[in-house]
Amino acid sequence: MESSTPLLQTIKLTKHFGGVIANKDVSFDIKPGEIHCLLGENGAGKTTLAECLYGYYYPDGGEIWFKQERVNIASPHDAIKLGIGMVHQHFILVRPLSVIENIIVGTDAAQLFLNLSTASKKVEQLCRDYDISLDLSAKIWQLSVGEQQWVEILKALFVGIKLLILDEPTAVLTPQEAEKLFVILRKMKASGLSILFITHKLHEVLEVSDRVTVLRKGEKVATVFTPDVDRAELAKMMVGREVFFRVNKETLQPGDPVLEVINLRAKNDRGQESLCGISMNIRAGEIVGIAGISGNGQKDLFESIVGVKPVHSGNIRFSGQDITNKPVHAIASLGMAHIPEDRLKEGLVPEFSVAENLMLGLHKHRFFKIWGGLVDAKEVKTFADTCIKDFDIVTPSSGHTTRNLSGGNIQKVIIARELSGHPKCLVANQPTRGLDVGAIEYVHTQLLNQCKAGTAILIISDDLDEIMNLADRILVIFKGRIVGELDPQTASRQEIGLLMAGCVDGEQL
Amino acid sequence: MNVLGLTFEKREQSSRLWQLLMVLLAIIFALVLSGLLIFLSGADVGKAFAGLYGGAFGTRKALIETLVKATPLILTGLAAVIAFRGKVMNIGAEGQFLAGAMAGYWAILTFSWMSPFFYFSMILFFAFIGGAICGLIPGLLKGLLKVDETIVTVMMNYVVEFVLSFLLSGPWQAAGKFYKFSEEIPTSAHYGLVFPNTRLHYGFIVALVTTIIVYWILQKTRLGYEIRSIGLNPAASKFKGINVPRTIITIMLISGGIAGLGGIGEVIGIQHRMRMDISNGAGFTGIIIAMLAGLNPLAVVIVAIFMGGLLNGSNRMQIFSNVPTALVYAMQAIVLLSLLAFQVLAKYRIRRAAGNE
Repeated sequence: MESSTPLLQTIKLTKHFGGVIANKDVSFDIKPGEIHCLLGENGAGKTTLAECLYGYYYPDGGEIWFKQERVNIASPHDAIKLGIGMVHQHFILVRPLSVIENIIVGTDAAQLFLNLSTASKKVEQLCRDYDISLDLSAKIWQLSVGEQQWVEILKALFVGIKLLILDEPTAVLTPQEAEKLFVILRKMKASGLSILFITHKLHEVLEVSDRVTVLRKGEKVATVFTPDVDRAELAKMMVGREVFFRVNKETLQPGDPVLEVINLRAKNDRGQESLCGISMNIRAGEIVGIAGISGNGQKDLFESIVGVKPVHSGNIRFSGQDITNKPVHAIASLGMAHIPEDRLKEGLVPEFSVAENLMLGLHKHRFFKIWGGLVDAKEVKTFADTCIKDFDIVTPSSGHTTRNLSGGNIQKVIIARELSGHPKCLVANQPTRGLDVGAIEYVHTQLLNQCKAGTAILIISDDLDEIMNLADRILVIFKGRIVGELDPQTASRQEIGLLMAGCVDGEQL
Repeated sequence: MNVLGLTFEKREQSSRLWQLLMVLLAIIFALVLSGLLIFLSGADVGKAFAGLYGGAFGTRKALIETLVKATPLILTGLAAVIAFRGKVMNIGAEGQFLAGAMAGYWAILTFSWMSPFFYFSMILFFAFIGGAICGLIPGLLKGLLKVDETIVTVMMNYVVEFVLSFLLSGPWQAAGKFYKFSEEIPTSAHYGLVFPNTRLHYGFIVALVTTIIVYWILQKTRLGYEIRSIGLNPAASKFKGINVPRTIITIMLISGGIAGLGGIGEVIGIQHRMRMDISNGAGFTGIIIAMLAGLNPLAVVIVAIFMGGLLNGSNRMQIFSNVPTALVYAMQAIVLLSLLAFQVLAKYRIRRAAGNE
């Protein structure tokens, strides 16, 4: 394969947004019929590079060559014409329409009159070729997330592409579904297709790719043959230093139950039951992890516990009191802290200064004098400076606008605010989503320290590795139910994966 | 984002200086466009602008009259600022302005037996309450039932106007008069004058004091902190236990009350009777002013004086160059539109879309 001419090549590709460099002088190539991984931390510029190849962004400098011709890809339309297809992290499908209708949208088969039968035959052939089983007349909303991904892939294959770009395709899949994806990718490769596979998960790189290009801070570190490297080497290239994969977790003796959830039921925004009788308890000094594919009620569970979402029936008891449907601030003042999944939308006010964000929520009880109405500027600043020092927040000053900090430091602001009051219970939803390795290590260390100090911690995460590393007990959630409890010391990924897919004792729920 | 062959890229951060520059550029651009309008109407552009400037700021008398015109605009501008800071789209300052004037006028009729200090206190208090109640209705609907406040506040403007029209053609109409206005109010209810022999009344001082209070509320109090918080991020505010509905209702009470203070000022400071036309669109101009001021209460005073100057200078402009006074309303609109257009420049970097190199 070394000798074959590249299908696609970039030469010193550069892209910046304002003053921020997303890609700098990235030169790499993809050979025909290879699976090429693009590896890097969050924010390393992987997606930007891919979007440049797909014509969504236009590079500020550098060249793109496709089939030994210099090309100018100004829009996704140009990319598709060349034979480049892409499946984004967030699917772009029309939910009320059928699979086949979604596949032909925007193609030649969807002219004035739809040519469904010819299109169906072609798609059926594709499904047979790659061993994909999918009901073409099903509506998108009836499909699982994994199946929706097939639709996206078929959509790309339908127009006859040479290169398929997949942006973090496994983020929404169970381990089993990911396994199946890899099998199909290998089949595609065998049929001569090239695949650019974007990921930050090392085991996927090692499992599926032929070569891997590592990006760090927008620049290429190296392109290597996958068989020539191991996990530790890849991690070092990606992060720029040695990485320890396992946090040092001590086994503690948990205390009394702090948070008890009894037969909790709640409805989602569309009035459908999203939590169908959840019962669990979390004891002081233990970490309970909720594993599950996103969209199975995790968000509603989180919001019900912290008091943002009304509970339909059932009870939540916290340190001996019934907190069901109590206002957020009342629950918080009992010693409940929380880290929401979306930092910038739910965790803090990005336009506020660091100091203003550190007092958010706590401002109900402190920082104001004269009947709690007037800002006590001195107290605010002292508290902010203490937090910045204790939690190692990197910011020019406490008056700096929070939005301008890095993702990791923004998360530190939230963690500082939530942990500074030494809560009895901490509920964290996706606490490390989108963070780089250093920040993830930081968050995990903080959570473990807090646990050691006796806090009951509930972690909800899509990242199975995170849960397996941190939790003392794993609960698996599926369609609003807890379908299993496992011990991370003894449970296998396969076991958990089956439960995540709703397979209990060999039966599909 | 690609539009018309142009690429829009969001700027990472737009500095305060850059934003100020955009406001200035927008004003210059608006003046050029207005000049074009004047030119097209066949008048002498130079004379028209000279007339406008002279009439607004040319003499001490003109300047003071500009401040008179700015007084209600400062208050309606502040009403818009405090609402918009909490992302509550109060387009109803016009109605709240009139409601405040009506409630204040009722107090003028009712409490005339009181000593001057209490009399004025009651008039201003009821004016504030009148505007606040008018703001409370859309506030409750928005806060408790999530009814869109933009539509409710706009519709309330008409409701209040018709109520006033009814009162002035019946119960409050001056005896034996055909026009829709009331009897003159007693001189004991007149605002005092800042300078003798001018029209600049204490309402201007009230407006300045209100400016300071609004600034202080927004920056220094817990309420202001919560208003800014729900305005910038309602979801996070909810997660951190801020009572969003209650804050929205409070915002509408204060916003309406401030507009109401503006309304009574025109009654007891200028007209000395209740009339249909006391507002002259002050409620709507207030929205433009708040936007131009970047929702900064202190900047509202400057922008309101600029807008007051346009209104005041327009008469002289008409005399000197035959350009109708109505042009200043067009100018106000042009200033806002060009500001909105220039804000795109402040927020986005625009480049020619990637074509062939």
